Parts: sequence; structure tokens; C-alpha cells
Amino acid sequence: MAWIEYAYWIALLPLIGFVLELFVGKYTWKRGGIFANLAILGSTIIAIGTLTEVLGGARIDVSVSWFFDGIVVGYLIDPLAIVMLCMVSFVSLMIHIYATAYMDEDPNKSLYFAETALFTCGMLGLVLSNNLLQLFIFWELVGVCSYLLIGFWWYKPEAAAAGKKAFLTTRVGDVLFLLGIILLYFNVSHLPEPLSFKYLFSLEVLEAIPHTHLTAIALLFLGGAVGKSSQFPLHVWIPDAMEGPTTVSALIHAATMVTAGIYLVARTYPIFIASPDALVVVAVLGGFTALFAATLGLVVNDIKRVLAYSTISQLGYMLCMLGVGSIIGAFAVGYSLFHLISHAFFKALLFLCSGAVLHGLANTRDLREMGGLLKKMPVTAIAMLIGALSLSGFPLTAGFFSKDRIIETAYEYGVATNNFLPWIFILLAALLTAVYTFRLWFMAFTGEPRSYLAEHAHEASKIMTIPLIVLAAFALFFGIFQKKFYTFVGANFDSHLIEELAHIGGYHFHHAGHVPFVVMILPAVCAIGGIAIAYGIWYNNRVDVSTFISKENPIYRLLWNKYYLDFIFKDLIAERVFGFVALVAEAFDKYVIDGVVNGISYLVLTTGSRLRKIQTGVVETYATAVVIGVVILILLIGGVI
Amino acid sequence: MIPLEWYLILAGTLFSIGAYGILVERNGLKVLMCLEILLNAANINLVAFSRGNLMGQQFALFSIAIAACEVAVGLALLIMLFRYMDTIDLETFNILRW
Repeated sequence: MAWIEYAYWIALLPLIGFVLELFVGKYTWKRGGIFANLAILGSTIIAIGTLTEVLGGARIDVSVSWFFDGIVVGYLIDPLAIVMLCMVSFVSLMIHIYATAYMDEDPNKSLYFAETALFTCGMLGLVLSNNLLQLFIFWELVGVCSYLLIGFWWYKPEAAAAGKKAFLTTRVGDVLFLLGIILLYFNVSHLPEPLSFKYLFSLEVLEAIPHTHLTAIALLFLGGAVGKSSQFPLHVWIPDAMEGPTTVSALIHAATMVTAGIYLVARTYPIFIASPDALVVVAVLGGFTALFAATLGLVVNDIKRVLAYSTISQLGYMLCMLGVGSIIGAFAVGYSLFHLISHAFFKALLFLCSGAVLHGLANTRDLREMGGLLKKMPVTAIAMLIGALSLSGFPLTAGFFSKDRIIETAYEYGVATNNFLPWIFILLAALLTAVYTFRLWFMAFTGEPRSYLAEHAHEASKIMTIPLIVLAAFALFFGIFQKKFYTFVGANFDSHLIEELAHIGGYHFHHAGHVPFVVMILPAVCAIGGIAIAYGIWYNNRVDVSTFISKENPIYRLLWNKYYLDFIFKDLIAERVFGFVALVAEAFDKYVIDGVVNGISYLVLTTGSRLRKIQTGVVETYATAVVIGVVILILLIGGVI
Repeated sequence: MIPLEWYLILAGTLFSIGAYGILVERNGLKVLMCLEILLNAANINLVAFSRGNLMGQQFALFSIAIAACEVAVGLALLIMLFRYMDTIDLETFNILRW
């Protein structure tokens, strides 16, 4: 049996799971979860089966015409798609298994599983899409599901507000993405299937698009990615999204949502390669976001928000990698995706661990109320240590290999283009990542318990710890696949095509130059140095940092207020600018639109009430009217008048 | 032989009397009678024009028969109205208006 022929079931099974879970879920075993788990297990099996065939060289791209000429639906399996499919379905499966225990006491358990199954379906469909329109539809489905799930505990006002914020913020990116698709369509409408990747990514087609248009399309797509992957300045929704259940955070951060933006840039990489200006923006923006979010992660006391900022930061790495990829070409996709997937493993692990901590501490998220949990929850603590090591890029973990490669490439990029900015950004971010990650770990798991809850914490159940162990194994050992992964995914785009496209952009690839030994070991030094700093400060609180953590310190105040971005967005842009627009719109609606509607109805009513007076009810009046009418008719016919 | 115009003048006069009666009379019975005059004015025209064949006279007979039915219905209506309202003054029968 050829698995690849049935690859569309990878996205279809979770959809069936969604329907079953929605309508009959609550009458089944333990009030829901069984259908979603089985469906995603099925997806994982098909995805892995397909992976074995794609490794053997199989590819598929099937389109079915849909409503109009040239508008198609279909699915595409190539190395880039299949590694994403395997990661999404597998990580999602781990999270679903974990959630059967984690969400056990929730009254809406079956609804939760229905929504996560739909969420997974949206992401898998997005990855399977072989054209931009279908990709955009699933992109929106993912957005809707994130809204539903972040606001899953809707009775908490913060959760409802966070869902709304996530939806509206990512919507800014969605609009840019849609504009990009429209602009692209007008440039390529002569193709048989204008938005299909197989027609789009050829030299003749991309050559024919004016250079300014190509750059604009790439930047608009980047705008979509910035919204979905929460890059600066649209990252503000992610920390608030922590109001959802922890398993939802794990899904959003590891498997289903934020990686969609990176995937979009990777999938449309030929367009980016052909427009070097856009790639510079990608590199600098990615690097800046990585550093920016890392500084914010230093001061937050909410265990989940620290992880949220680390996600923003790591997504910055992936985007930066795609940007600095202008010096190595097609392989950049492989490097970026490798970090994406190792990040998915350790970030899912970290979130599930923090979920276990929350479970043990009656939903306390404040790090200052934890401490000493290593003794109470050993499995969670060790799993989280592995995740933290991987996130910091400690040598020989999965995160080390993936991050190391990115930082080295950024250095080569600096040498080639004299633009060392991305390299400096992400190197500093690597140091800070280690510091804030281990700040979290030391504060939560070592020292003395700092609250009643921490003293009485307990380890989570087996169903919850088993996914942790599986994910921890991947976070530790995934690095051994790196060489194979690079050649596999790096070969996703025809390297000859990519080189020709770079030629359109007006530059050449600089094949791997010599990287000095000092630069090579710098990432590892940063990681270990960062861990050492965190150990020095937060292990048993050896160094007193209370002078830094005070409202008088301007740097601390700046970080605590998240660089005032929330203030700028909400109080300045949303309330002042849009508030004024809303006022004008309301006046227009009230006086012009409503005025016209009410005016017409008033006119009709008064005319009617006047006109009906001519009906006197007296027979003679009617007869007179008839006679006068007949006389006039006769005179008319006789030609007298 | 009497010229055609004389018949037409008679018919026109009768029609005008009938129409005048309908327009100014308030008594329902008188209005019905005026309607009969109108019909008979038309009948005179039919007979007057039917020289050479009998087609017009046939039409006049039909018309008389239908007028009889119409009067029967009209009188019945008037009787019913009189029973309800104790009058056949047509100006009082305006309750179906706005």
C-alpha cells in the first residue's frame, strides 16, 4: 500500500474527530477525548508511513478544480511538508494524550477536544495545501481555533479578552497576507493554476513579475508571518494567550499555530530569494525579535509567560535563519526547519511540564510562590531540566545543534554582507535565553518552598508523565538526525532554481567560508555562561537582585511594562486613533444611513395616510369619478382634446 | 321612416337623465331605477342600429334579461341594508372606508 496516496487523510481524520467529539463526545468514555486521540493517532501513523516513502524519493501533488477555472484544492507532499506533518501530528498526539488527564475535571471536556482536533486539522491542512488560497483558508481556520481555545475558559474576563486580542492582532497579519496573495494573483493570472506552487515556483514566472512587486509580495507575506508567528511588533498577543489551558499553550507554541508563519516563509522561499531587500528585513527583524523577547523573558514572574517570550525569541531565530539564508540558498529552509522541529519538541515538553507544575500547585503560575519542587515532582523537574537545557542550547542537546547552525550562518552572513546585526542580536539572545530559562528552573525547582502550595505539591499522574518522557527523549536526542535532515529538507527546492532566482535578485551565494574557532564555540559558551549566571543569581538566591528589581530602576520599569508596546497599541492606537474613526463612523451610521432608512419609511407612511383620504366611501363620489373619467376618455378618443 | 339620428338623440337623452340621477340621488331605489334607464338607453341604440338583420334586437333581449337579474340582486341588497340601518340613504353606507 502506498501511504502517500492517502496522505490527505492526515488532515481529514482530525476533522472527523472534531465532528464526532462535538456531537457524541460527551457520551463516551470519560466524557470525551477518545475520538480526538484516535483521529490524531491515525494522522500520526499515516504521516510516519508517508515519511518513509518520501525518504525513498516519493513526491505527490494532486489538484482538483474548485468552482472556477484555475482555482483548485489539492495536497502536496514534499520533504518540507512531510517533516512538518510528522512533527505536528506527533507533538499534537502527545499533547492530546496529556490533556486527557489534564482536562479531566473540566465540565466542557468534549468541547475542548473537539476544538483541539479542529485546530490540529487546520494546521495539518495548511501544511498539506498545494496552493496559496487553500493555505489561506486553513490559516484562518487556525486563527479561529486559537481564538476559541485561548478563550476556552470564557467565564474568566482575562481569558475572553486574551482570545479577542489574539484574534485581532493576528488579523492584522492576515490582512497583509491576503493583500500579498491578491497582488501575486494579478501578476500571475495568466497561469493555468495561478496560485499553485508547482506553477508559481519556476524561473520564467518569477522573472516576469516586476521587481518592486516581488519585494512587496514578499514583505506582505512576511507581514502575515509576523502576525501568526508573533514577531515584533505583533507579538503582543502571545503573553496574554497564556490565559488558555496549558495544553492549548503547548499546542499553539509547539505544533499548530505560531510555526505556521515560519512555514509560510519557508514554503514561499523562492519568492523571498528573488527579492534580497525583503530577505534583509527578514534577517534583521527575526534577529531583533529574538533579542527583544529574550530581554522581556528576564523579568516576568509568570512561569507560562517566561515560556511564551522564549517562543517569540526562538521563532525570531527561525525567521532570522531564513533571512540570512540569502548566502547559502536552499539549505536555509533545512536549517530553519530543523530548529522549528527541535523547538517544537522542547517547547511542548516545557509547556507540558509547566502544566504538571500548575496541576500540582492548584494553578499557581507565579514563580515567587514555587521553589523546592525538585523533591516533590522529580519526573517533571528532570523533564523540564532537559527541556531547559535544549532551549538554552546546551551542547549535544537538540536545541544546541539547531541553534548553533543558525548562529554560525548568521556570522557567515555578516562576513559576506558586512551586516553583523543579526549575528549580534541572536548571539546576545542565546545568552539571555540561557539566563531566563534557568532562572525559571532554579526559582521553581530548587531552594526552599516559598508558599503553602509549594510545600504540598504532588507529582502528576502517569498519563501526564509518559508524554513528558517521550518528548524529553526527542528534545535530548533529536540532534543526531541533523545531517540527514539538512540534506532531506534542504533539497526541497531545486537548488538550481534557487541559484537562478538569486541571480534575479542580483547576488550570488557565498559557499561556506571558514568560520573562526572562537566564533564556532561562542554559542556553547553563551549557553553555559548563561546557565552559570542564572545559577549564580537564583540558585538559593546567592546574589541579591532586589536593587535591580524595583520600580525606581528605569530599565526594570521599561521591561516590566513590556517596552510600553501594549500601552501604545491599546491606549494610543486603539483608543485614540481608532476611537476617533469609530466616532466618525458611528455618526455617519446614525445620521446618514439611519436617516435615509427612516426618511424613506416616514415618506411612505405620510404619503399613504394623505392619499387614503380620497376613499370617501360615498357611492356618488365614485360614480362621479367614473363618469368624469369616461367623458374624458370619449373626448380623447374622439380627438377633441 | 324615422331617421337614425332621432333614436340616437332619444337614447342620449335617456342616458343623460340616468347618469344625472345616479350622480345626484341619495335614495338607493331611485339609483337602481336610474341604472335601468341607462341600460334601456343602450338597448334603444342596439335596436336602432340593427337595420337589415336581427342581431342588435337579440342583444337587447339578452340585456333586458340580465338587467332583470341585476335588479333582483340590487333590490335584495337594499332590503338587507334597510334591515340593518333602517334607511336606504346611500350616504350613510360609508362604513367600509378608512
